[in-house]
Amino acid sequence: MNSPPDTDKVLDIRNLQVSFSSIAGATRAVNGVSLNVRSGEIVGLVGESGCGKSVTIRSIVGLVPSPPALFEDGEIWLRTRRGMTETLSLYKNMKALRQIRGRDVSMIFQEPMRSVHPMMTIGQQITEGILEHEVVDPAEAYDRTVEMLDLVGLPNPPAQMNRYAHELSGGMRQRALIALALVCHPQLLLADEPTTALDVTIQAQILELIKDLRERMSMSVLLITHNMGVVANLADRISVMYLGRIMETGTVEEIFKEPAHPYTQGLLASMPSLFSQPKTHLQSLRGVVPELAMAPKGCVFADRCPHVMPICDETPPVVELRADHSAACWLYDDVEASPGPDAATAQPSLGGDSTLGDASQRVEVIPLTKTEPTAHADQEKLADSDTDQLQIENVALHYPILRGLLRRQVGTVRAVDGVDLSIRRGETLGLVGESGCGKTSVGRLVTRLVEPSAGRIRFGADGRLEEITHIPQKEMKGVRRSMGMVFQDPLSSLNARMNIRNIVGEPLMLHGMAKGSAVDERVGELLEMVGLRAAHQSRFPHAFSGGQRQRIAIARALATEPSFLVADEPVSALDVSVQAQILNLLLTLQQQLNLSMLFIAHDIAVVRHVSDRIAVMYLGKIVELGNAREICVRPVHPYTEALLASIPLPMPGLATLQEMPKGDLPDPANPPKGCRFHTRCPYSQPICEQEEPPLLPFADAVDHFGACHFQDELHLQGVEEIGEIHGPAAAGGEE
Amino acid sequence: MKTYILQRFIQMIIVMVVVMLVSFIIVELPPGDFLTTLREQLTEQNVDPKVIDSTVEMYRARYGLGENWFFRFGKWAWSLMKGDMGYSMQHNRPASELMGERLSLTIWISIATLVFMFVIAVPIGMLSAIKQYSAWDHSFTFLALLGVSVPSFITALVFLLLSVTLLGATTVAGLFSPEYVTAEWSWAKFVDMLKHVWIILFIVGLGDTASTIRVMRARMLDTLGEPYIDTARMKGLSGAKIYFRHALRVAINPIISSIGLRFPQIISGSTIVAIVLTLPLIGPLLLDALLGEDVYLACSILVVLTLALVIGNFLADLALAWLDPRIRFES
Repeated sequence: MNSPPDTDKVLDIRNLQVSFSSIAGATRAVNGVSLNVRSGEIVGLVGESGCGKSVTIRSIVGLVPSPPALFEDGEIWLRTRRGMTETLSLYKNMKALRQIRGRDVSMIFQEPMRSVHPMMTIGQQITEGILEHEVVDPAEAYDRTVEMLDLVGLPNPPAQMNRYAHELSGGMRQRALIALALVCHPQLLLADEPTTALDVTIQAQILELIKDLRERMSMSVLLITHNMGVVANLADRISVMYLGRIMETGTVEEIFKEPAHPYTQGLLASMPSLFSQPKTHLQSLRGVVPELAMAPKGCVFADRCPHVMPICDETPPVVELRADHSAACWLYDDVEASPGPDAATAQPSLGGDSTLGDASQRVEVIPLTKTEPTAHADQEKLADSDTDQLQIENVALHYPILRGLLRRQVGTVRAVDGVDLSIRRGETLGLVGESGCGKTSVGRLVTRLVEPSAGRIRFGADGRLEEITHIPQKEMKGVRRSMGMVFQDPLSSLNARMNIRNIVGEPLMLHGMAKGSAVDERVGELLEMVGLRAAHQSRFPHAFSGGQRQRIAIARALATEPSFLVADEPVSALDVSVQAQILNLLLTLQQQLNLSMLFIAHDIAVVRHVSDRIAVMYLGKIVELGNAREICVRPVHPYTEALLASIPLPMPGLATLQEMPKGDLPDPANPPKGCRFHTRCPYSQPICEQEEPPLLPFADAVDHFGACHFQDELHLQGVEEIGEIHGPAAAGGEE
Repeated sequence: MKTYILQRFIQMIIVMVVVMLVSFIIVELPPGDFLTTLREQLTEQNVDPKVIDSTVEMYRARYGLGENWFFRFGKWAWSLMKGDMGYSMQHNRPASELMGERLSLTIWISIATLVFMFVIAVPIGMLSAIKQYSAWDHSFTFLALLGVSVPSFITALVFLLLSVTLLGATTVAGLFSPEYVTAEWSWAKFVDMLKHVWIILFIVGLGDTASTIRVMRARMLDTLGEPYIDTARMKGLSGAKIYFRHALRVAINPIISSIGLRFPQIISGSTIVAIVLTLPLIGPLLLDALLGEDVYLACSILVVLTLALVIGNFLADLALAWLDPRIRFES
């Protein structure tokens, strides 16, 4: 065993190699990872799913079950109260390992909803941790727990002590879990995607909390995430991981301003940001993360790399670009002497469109920002834009809450509570809001998958608008031919027992549009249209990756050549690079086929990227409606401002946020009186608690509506469009 | 919590009334009644037709068999509520007298079987999950599969065969040694019963024990994969605390809620075994009553068994609510 590292480091992973043995043979999930965390530092470990991030972080504390895992090589040094300790060697000494867990190093997990024990009170669970490590009497443990709950910002801590998991929202559970993790004052917190399962506004709150606690408890944090935005505003240093290897390590500024490794560049470019040119193609990485066993020899990124060279067959060296910035790439092998990878990287273009629309000079040297105008970027669809394809008026969806023996109705969940929207032909309307706001219900209402409780829905298949609010399902079948729908989860929305030909061809057969071999032919065309091979018709969904399945779902939605598409969170279950591919595909198809689209998502950056107009929804109501860019530059409703501010920007130092929306989304069965947002609104006035503001045109703008009492007085902060000649003064709209 | 208990209680009463009605109707359903059976019996015995007529008429008047079924049901239900189980027409004795000892023995054996099942199955299933794919796990998974697949009467027959051929036993069947069968209850009789009863527990409980092992193992595996177990591990808890304090209480949930359902299974399962091993349980009596269209006896047995089942379910629900805060919360 080597000597322990210098004491400045809280964690030092050296050349970690972890394999998993299975019937198919051993695959190396972590392949020579070296990583360290210094005192008081937040280090981000970034990469797509299946890259070995979780295995790495779990190896630190012995949470990887072995077998099947095999720790082939490497050391993990951790600073504990007994000095530097090598934790891999402790695996055989469970007692010693247990003393470290929770006391010297703690961990919070991805799914707060499932990480709190369902049958123990919050208080029991946290005090249990104290009593495990320290000799204190229960009363003191209780007091310390209350104190800790207060520190993580849970309201009324003594009351929380007796509550159970199901009584807390996701954000509150994650706070409780953070309290649980930190109650013994560990020096290192491991955070495994701590905000991925949470809503954007809650994510922003939790990230802020972690940042704040780092200072107050003087600890270090190792944070795993797939979201570059999350680390940009939180981490001091970043390591980018791909297929079990660290591709690049550097300070947050260096990684974002001068990403050296093509994988890092690709990840950054794949993210639709609030600065990107809307409706243009994102620069996406080719292909998908391969199975570990199929990874290329040499550089594991070679098969997706735009700069691939013959030498990439060999394992690339880790090149020190400068102090604290290194990349494992052959591109820099010969520039070791001269710092600054600019010269080497600026040349090869990834052949795509701009995404990091940062106008500052620096950006010029980023290879990815070469702007290549796309043909269809700002194309106006004048011909069609006059006619509406869909109009919904005052539509509502109410669910009764039944209680007791006699199933009496004790309340109503107002999932959708009076929504007016229209979608023009060829237009994409983005519908954005947090989970539980009713946006999915709107999509289901429009397609008549649920019966509206009130209101009118009118839809024009290929001409006049016709009322479809209550037409019988038989007639609706004809209308559905003109509607397609893509769902969030590409796995469960495809029947696992049907092959692709039948999945994609079913709508054709259902509507009598094709029979026999004509189906095969059309399915083949459709598959090729979405970028799959026509020959794959006979395969079953499990043979495809998540992104490919979503392509299949899109092919199915478009099988009957609909003129209208509802896309309900079509990319939120996908990896960043695949997300970009699917967004590109949707944009292309929409323009080729002149589709009207209702695009539903929680991420306003994604919505902004694909939409012409955006409707912001909160607790069953539309609170703001307008041109996509305008809404982002000059929001008129405080909720829109909050949503924009909650998006972690992939640009360090460019934190948007001044004031977070407080607390959680209220119960839709019992929405606040007056303006529904007033409980969380930083600008709330007495009138907001009394009167519900109607959706009214904003100032002089033609096509911009807000539902705020003070929309004409408030000057809310949007996101400046850096590098775009498009001032907020241009309110008035292009449409 | 109070409303929850009240809710369950009212449900219990509704179920009882419905079961009483349904069981009465079902028993009444086949063509003919006890009088038909009686007439045939007497005819076979070459009794004088006039005597037959008068006997039948006497029974008809006595039991109100001429009245419509609704009237008869009301009469029966009312007296049942007063604690009068009615009169077995077949045996010419009060139903309660016939059921008496058999019923208490049946309930006793059922509860003992449940306890036996719990005590054996839960630890085995738990350990199988904790030591997944170990030799322990493999052998018990195999045994459990065997236990689930073999019907209990086969086990009973095999047991009979083995004890006669291998052990040379002469009295293998029954709950008591011959000298105690008709004896009054005494300490010696109780001890004698304990010597016999474990075999019955084993035979009756084998299938349920085996299936509970499988359920427990699967549930425990699921629970151990839950993220909150990782949270518990990361607190530095020992294995025992994780398994017992955190995992067991979640994993055992469906087993507790199934107790109420196991109860009738045990009773009907034990019927076949009781016939094979000639045990004085309630099952054979019920079968007999049903075959002989002995309406009041059959209905009374059914109702009493249902009552036991419903109370068992009620207790299981209470145990579950005590164990799981989410259930308390929902009410």
